[in-house]
Amino acid sequence: MTLQQQIRSARMRTLLVIVLFIVLMAVIVAAINVAFGSGYGLIMGMVAVGYGIFGYIAAGSIVASASGARKIAKEDAPELFRTVENAAIAAGLAKTPDIYIIDDPAPNAFAAGRTPDKAYVAATTGILQLLDKRELEGVMAHEMAHIRNRDVRLMTLAAVMVGVISMIADMLLWSMVFSGNRNSNDNNPLGAILAIVAIILAPIGAAMLQMTLSRRREYLADATAAELTGDPEGLARALYKLAADQRPLAKVNRATAHLWIESPLRDNKGMRSSMAGLFDTHPPLQERIDRLQEMGGFTLPPIPKGAADA
Amino acid sequence: MNILLIVIAVIVVVILLWLVIAYNGLVRLRNEADQGESSIDIQLKRRADLIPNLVEAVKGYATHESATFENVSNARAQALGAKSLSEKADADGAMQSAVGKLFAIAEAYPELRAVESFVQLQTELADTEDKVAAARRYYNAVVQQFNTKQQTVPTSFIAGAFGFSPREFYRLEDDADRQPVKVDLN
Repeated sequence: MTLQQQIRSARMRTLLVIVLFIVLMAVIVAAINVAFGSGYGLIMGMVAVGYGIFGYIAAGSIVASASGARKIAKEDAPELFRTVENAAIAAGLAKTPDIYIIDDPAPNAFAAGRTPDKAYVAATTGILQLLDKRELEGVMAHEMAHIRNRDVRLMTLAAVMVGVISMIADMLLWSMVFSGNRNSNDNNPLGAILAIVAIILAPIGAAMLQMTLSRRREYLADATAAELTGDPEGLARALYKLAADQRPLAKVNRATAHLWIESPLRDNKGMRSSMAGLFDTHPPLQERIDRLQEMGGFTLPPIPKGAADA
Repeated sequence: MNILLIVIAVIVVVILLWLVIAYNGLVRLRNEADQGESSIDIQLKRRADLIPNLVEAVKGYATHESATFENVSNARAQALGAKSLSEKADADGAMQSAVGKLFAIAEAYPELRAVESFVQLQTELADTEDKVAAARRYYNAVVQQFNTKQQTVPTSFIAGAFGFSPREFYRLEDDADRQPVKVDLN
């Protein structure tokens, strides 16, 4: 895929995400209407629309504050700054993105923002300690690739929308807990069933929303990163180190999971079953490393068992 | 009769649309190539600006290396005077080897390597070297796309009709020169 095709595909998917979000919200609101009466539905609908618009405008900073990221200046981390500057030049970005730091020993990084101009990259203190210059270059090139391909708007929007849906699902759940009995007595039992369906539907919808992002774009960003640095091995080594590190991020939630270079969710390991992989936001690291190895013609030892599907 | 007219009209519209899109694509790539070239220029200029300070710093310690200093300032003059892309690339290569030699000399003076401003200059130069390389990779990638589009059917027809011409790659003389200057900060 050429850059233009990638940008076009990102635009189409952005549209798809927005449409999916609206449809999902309409279904949920309709279910609430039937279950609790039209007053609830209307209020919930207005909250959702308001939050959606606010989210679209402030998406970048919402994600930053949800992840506990703070903006830094060049003096704070000159090495990181230079690395990002170089990656931005290699990607042909008009402006070097802002740089954010997250105080967390778990190594990870992401890029977010609504437009390439307002995009920023965030790195944990853990990743800065773990990786050497060459590996960090690979990681930052991967983030630049997301910015250049216009993935970041899509990914940031999806994060905010998934956040809205989970918020509403939570609110529904609690209102069921507190007023469920009364409602099921006064109204028809159908209403309660619908509300339960909506509660079940919401997380599934959120997962679907994240899946429209497709794991393919991670492979694409890896490939672009290899092209930008001319060094697939650097990124591969970084991914290898990330796989070996099992520390979970402190401030992470489902909504922002797909943004990170490596899936930050660790605690759902036990839930993996035959459904494993279906709702993963990231392709397996070993697969990503394999593809980079093919590009660069080098070989790293396989990721040790137990860390393989981090 | 009517159907035939409609079919012809549709075909004409499609061709016109394609023309517009293909032409815009070429213009976009040409602009990106221009942008890439000026990004290389900025970094080359930045490096040239660092050179006098570097020479001053080393001069204070290594007094018997006038040939090397001359080499460096010649390379700098060449870089500042370069007009065409290949001239710039040549000057770039000359500059890299001249600066490399200068740093090799500096290695022999531990007192010099202890000077903070010198170490800073070294870091700056190494960084600029990386940035030139980054800008070059971007430029060459864009030029590759631009040239391929002009040489492949059907965009080649538009390229010919509207006077697009292939761009020159930014190439350094030989592969040894492509290695960035090794700066050891230890």
